[in-house]
Amino acid sequence: MKALTRHRRLAAIWSSRPGWRGWLSTVNHNDVGLMFLVTAFFYFLVGGILAMLIRAQLATPHSAFAGPEVYSQFFTMHGTIMMFLFAIPAIEGLAIYLLPKMLGTRDLAYPRLTAYGFWCYFFGGAMLLVALLFGIAPDGGWFMYPPLTGKIHSPGINTDFWLIGITFVEISAISAAVELTVSILKYRAPGMSLGRMPIFAWYILVTALMILTGFPPLILGSILLELERAFGLPFFQLELGGDSLLWQHLFWLFGHPEVYIIFLPAAGVISTILPVMASTTLLGYRWVVAAAVALAILSFGLWVHHMFTTGIPHMGLAFFSAASTLVAIPTAVQVFAWIGTMWKGTPRLHLPMLHILGFFATFVIGGLTGVMVAVVPFDWQVHDTAFVTAHLHYVLFGGFVFPILAAVYYWLPLVSGRKRYFRLGEVAFALIFTGFHATFLAMHWVGLMGQRRRISTYAPEDGWTAINLISSVGGFVLAFGLAMVLVEVVLHAVVRHHSARNPWRAGTLEWATTMPAPAYNFASLPHVDSREPLWDDPGLPVRLARGEGYLGDPASGRRETLMVDVATGVPEQHVVYPTNTHLPIVLAAVTGLFFLSILIKVFWLTPVAVAGVVALGWLWVWRLGSRNDLGEQPIGRDLRVPNIAESDRPPGWWGSAFLLVADGTLFGSLLFGYAFLWTVAPGWPPPAFANPSPFALVAASAGAALGIAGGVFSIRNNRDGKGPVPGLLMALGGMLGLGVALMVFLAGAPSPSSHAYGATLWVLGSYGLLHAVLAGLMLAFLLSRHRAGYISSRRRAELAIAPVWIGYACVTTALILLAAYLPGLAT
Amino acid sequence: MTDLLRILVSPVAWLAAFSAVYGLHGVLCSMMLDATVFGMSRSRLVLALAFVVAVLLQAGLLAMLYSTRYGAAPGFARVVSRASGWTGLVATIWTLFPTLAVSTCP
Repeated sequence: MKALTRHRRLAAIWSSRPGWRGWLSTVNHNDVGLMFLVTAFFYFLVGGILAMLIRAQLATPHSAFAGPEVYSQFFTMHGTIMMFLFAIPAIEGLAIYLLPKMLGTRDLAYPRLTAYGFWCYFFGGAMLLVALLFGIAPDGGWFMYPPLTGKIHSPGINTDFWLIGITFVEISAISAAVELTVSILKYRAPGMSLGRMPIFAWYILVTALMILTGFPPLILGSILLELERAFGLPFFQLELGGDSLLWQHLFWLFGHPEVYIIFLPAAGVISTILPVMASTTLLGYRWVVAAAVALAILSFGLWVHHMFTTGIPHMGLAFFSAASTLVAIPTAVQVFAWIGTMWKGTPRLHLPMLHILGFFATFVIGGLTGVMVAVVPFDWQVHDTAFVTAHLHYVLFGGFVFPILAAVYYWLPLVSGRKRYFRLGEVAFALIFTGFHATFLAMHWVGLMGQRRRISTYAPEDGWTAINLISSVGGFVLAFGLAMVLVEVVLHAVVRHHSARNPWRAGTLEWATTMPAPAYNFASLPHVDSREPLWDDPGLPVRLARGEGYLGDPASGRRETLMVDVATGVPEQHVVYPTNTHLPIVLAAVTGLFFLSILIKVFWLTPVAVAGVVALGWLWVWRLGSRNDLGEQPIGRDLRVPNIAESDRPPGWWGSAFLLVADGTLFGSLLFGYAFLWTVAPGWPPPAFANPSPFALVAASAGAALGIAGGVFSIRNNRDGKGPVPGLLMALGGMLGLGVALMVFLAGAPSPSSHAYGATLWVLGSYGLLHAVLAGLMLAFLLSRHRAGYISSRRRAELAIAPVWIGYACVTTALILLAAYLPGLAT
Repeated sequence: MTDLLRILVSPVAWLAAFSAVYGLHGVLCSMMLDATVFGMSRSRLVLALAFVVAVLLQAGLLAMLYSTRYGAAPGFARVVSRASGWTGLVATIWTLFPTLAVSTCP
C-alpha cells in the first residue's frame, strides 16, 4: 500500500466530522487538546483584563475606579481564573495534545473521557464567567476562607458559584489526571521503557499523580462548605463544633501542591526545549526524574506554611518551615541540570530560548523569596502583604507563563505546519519581561512598606503612591507584550508560510509526524530504542509513513493502538478505541444540570440529573466490547497480542485503580477532618455519641464477606466456563448488605445540623452508601452484559473491574463504622 | 509497576511519617501531658521515639533499595530509586528533627 493511500484511509478512520459540528462530537486528542488550549488562553485573556482593572484601581490613592464590592470580585476572579481556568487546563491541553505523539502512540487511554473532561471544564468555566458578567461573581478571595464565606457573612449566591463551579471544573482535572497517568504508563510505543520515556512524559506523570492526590481535599472542602451554606451542616462554625481552620487545612492541602502541579509541567517544557535549543541532550536525565519525584512528594508536606500566623504551636511551625526550605534542593538540582545542559551544548537564542532565559531570571528570584517566607519570623512580618502577592507572581508567572510561552513558540509549527512570518515575538518578550519585573519588583517593595494585599484603596500619606503607579504602568506594559503574542499567533494562523518538518531538529517523536500532525499521528507505530529516536534514526518518519512499524494496516477500519508493559514497553494488548460521539458533551451537560440544580436550589432537579448521569454512564460503557471472541490480533512485525477484552487488566481496571487513588484521598481527607475537629475544635467531645448498632455491624460484615467472595467467584467460575452469574448475584447481595448497614447507621446518627460531629457522620455514611450503590450498579451492569453476550470465558476483562470497587466499598464501610462507633464503645 | 513503587516508596513513607508525627503532635498537645520521664516531658519522649522509628524505617528502606533481592536491576530504575531513597532519609531527618529541638506545645 502506498503511503498516500494509507494516509487517506487512516485519516478517514480517525478524523472528526467536518466543520464546527465536529467539535461537539470529536474524541480525538488532537482536537480536544487544542480545544483545551484555546479555551485556557481565552481565560488567560479574561484573567489578564481583570488584572489590568486591579492595577487601574491601585494606580492612584483614593481611586474611584471601582467600589470595594466590585473590586473584591475582580481580585477573586483574577486568582480563580488564573489558577483553575487557565493554568491547570493549559497544562492538560498541552499534555493531551502532545503526549500521544511524544509516546509514539495514536491517542490517549480514554478518548471519550478526554472530551468529557473538556466539556466539564467548558461548562464549569462558563458558569463562573456568567456570574462575573452579571456582577454576582465570587468575592471572598481565591482561597475562600470561612467564616467570611459562610452563610452569615456572605449570604448571596456569589460564594456558591465558586464552590459549585470549581468542583465542576475539578471533574475535568481528575478525568485528565486518570487519563494521563494510564496513558503514560500503558500507552507507549513498543520498546519505550521507563528509562526511555521523554522527560516531558515523566513530568506529566508526576503531575497527574499529584492532581489525583492534591485536588480531592479541595473538592471535599468545597462540598463541606456548600453543605454548610445550603443545609446548615456546621463544619466550619465554631459554636456548633466546627472550625474555620479546617477549611484552611483542606484548602492548602490542595493549594500548596497546586503550585508544583503548575510548575512541574512547565519544568517539563524547559527540560524538553532547552536541550534542543542547545543542540544536546538533557544533562542528568535520571537525576532530573528523581528531583521531580522528590519535589512532587515533598510539596505535600508544606501546606501549613500558608498558616504560620494561625497560632499553631512552635513545633508544628518548625516541621513545615523545615520542609519548606528542603524543597529548594530538588528545585536546585533541576536548575543546575538546565544550566549544565546549556554549558555542554551550544545554545541558540531562538524565541523559545528567550522565554526560557526569562523563566530562569524570574523563577529563581521567586524561589529565593519563597525561602524567605518559609522562615517563620519573616513570614509573620510579610504575611498577607503585597510582598506575598509579588512572591507568588514571580513563582507562577516565572515558573509557568514564561515556559508556556516558550512552549507556544516551540510547538506552534507542529500544530500549524507553518513558521512565523512577522517577528513580533522578540519585541513582545522584551515588553513582557520588563513589564513583569516593573510590576512585581515594585510590589515586593510596597509590601515590605506595609501595603496589605487585596485592599481596594489607600491614602496618599501611606507613602505607596509612586510605587503603585510604577507597578500599574509595568502591568500595562506587560499586557501590551502579551497582546502582541496573541496578535502574532493570530497572524500565524492567517499567513501561510510553510515550515520544514522538524524545524528545531529535535529528537523526540512528536516531530516524526507530518506537520500539522494528522488525526492518527503515526501511519504505523514506531519501535523505540533510545530517548531521542529521531537523532538516532533520522529515517524513522519515512519508514513509519510506509507502514513499516506496528499496526500499519488500516484494513480493519478500526481505531487501533497498543498497550504495553509498564516498565519495559513490551507490547501486551491490542486496543480498539471508540469513535466520534456526542456522548461526552451530553453527559457533561447533564452533569452540569446536577451542579446547577444545587446552585439555584431547585432540588427536585437533582435526582433527575443523577438518574441522567447514571443512564448515560450505563450507555457509555455499554457501547464498548464485542459479542465475539477475537483471539490474538496481528499487530505487525510478526507479533500477535490479545485484545483488551480478553485480558485480566483492561484499561478500565487501570483507570479504576487510579480513580480510587483520588477517591481514597478524598476519604482520607474526610477522616483527617474528623480527627482534626475532634482534637482541635472547641465544643468537642459532642453532646452525644452515635449508638453502635449490632445489626449494622453484622449486616456490614456479612455484606463485605459476600461481596468480596462473590467478586472472586465470578472471575474464577467464568474462567472455568461455568459463567459469572452466581458470583455476581452473591456480590450484589453483599452490596445490598453494605447499603442496609449504612442506612441503619445513618438512621441512628445524631442530627447533622446540631453539631459538626453529626454532620461528619452524615457525610461519612453518605459516602459509604454512595460507593455501595456504585458497586451494586456495576454488578447489575455485568449481569446485563453477560445476558447480552458480551462476556465469555475468553472475554473476561469487564469482570476484573467490579471487584476493585467492591473491595474499596467494603474497606471504606469498615473504616466508617469503626470511626463512628469506636468513641461510643470506648465510653 | 514494581520499579515505580521502588522509586516512590521512600518519599511516600516520608510523607506518611511526617503527617503521622504532625498528627501525633496535635493529639499530644490536646492531651496536655505534663509528666516527665528521664527528664523529658512525656510528649517529647513520644515524639522523639516517633522520630527515631521514622528514621529507622527510612534507613531500612534504603538498605532494601541497595540489596540485590529487593533493589532494582542495574540501569535507570536503580539510580532513580536509590536517589529517592536518600531523599526520604534526608527529608525525615531534616523535617522531623524539631521533635528533639523545639518546644512542644506552646
